[in-house]
Amino acid sequence: MFGTLYGAAARGVLGVPLTLVSSLLVYSGALQFALVALLGAGATILPLVLTTVVLNLRHLVLGAALRSRFESGPLRRALLAFFLVDETFGFAIAAGNRAAPRAVGAVTERTLLFAGLTLYAAWLVGTVVGVLGGGLAAVEGAAGAIFPVLFIGLASLAATRRSHAVRALAAAVLTAAVALLFPGLRMLAPVVAGVLVALPGRDR
Amino acid sequence: MSALVLVAIALITYGSRAAAVVLLPRPSPRFEIILSRIPAAIFASLATATLLGDGGALAAGPTLGAAAGALVVSPRRSLLLCLVGGVVGYATGAWLG
Repeated sequence: MFGTLYGAAARGVLGVPLTLVSSLLVYSGALQFALVALLGAGATILPLVLTTVVLNLRHLVLGAALRSRFESGPLRRALLAFFLVDETFGFAIAAGNRAAPRAVGAVTERTLLFAGLTLYAAWLVGTVVGVLGGGLAAVEGAAGAIFPVLFIGLASLAATRRSHAVRALAAAVLTAAVALLFPGLRMLAPVVAGVLVALPGRDR
Repeated sequence: MSALVLVAIALITYGSRAAAVVLLPRPSPRFEIILSRIPAAIFASLATATLLGDGGALAAGPTLGAAAGALVVSPRRSLLLCLVGGVVGYATGAWLG
């Protein structure tokens, strides 16, 4: 479903070939939606790359948590790494937690691979359907509304603590202030604000 | 966006996944905490940026309605519910506007 939304929304911004290639190579719904939103607003390469780097920082934490459970060699781990997204991480950790102590590594790896392949296939098929679906004109017309809705949903999912929600609100206010005071920096503001509000203080 | 930029973005994304799984040691607890705070803040900022045009002009009524609908149900922490809330908000905004 989200792949279909992505395909329908990205087609007008990236064109059909790049929309398909983006899902094939990047395989990151949140990042891909963010990039299309930035491109649609006229962002240049710098905000695109900065957003990519900062949004991907969380993979360091997810990967580190999985690394301590993996038992296979570096080549197999390098293959498994491609399938590391928020959802597959959750599935793999949950499956590992339910496994017998001796099987934690194998179960975690198997679950990451199976869930990753399944979600990857669904994401690709969804993108193709979204790109080719002539009946999705209504979705394409409402693409401007899809992005804020998706980002609000993603923010709510990512806010696992109350303080995360407070920081998210602060980042939103900071972004609005930058957009109003320095219009030229509007598309850089999300990355800068996101990092700035993450730095200080403790979590509650 | 050119194909070259897209490939660079794909490489950065894969590199970030492989770095910890294949190469890096676990980040320090302090750094982990900071990293965990970033995604929600960035997504909220992106939502704001997509609601503002050049010069701070607000998005159209249906889009604002969609955002409001998603915001109302966001405490439930469900992407599907946010989409439903967004659809209801969009329809309401279009009806009012």
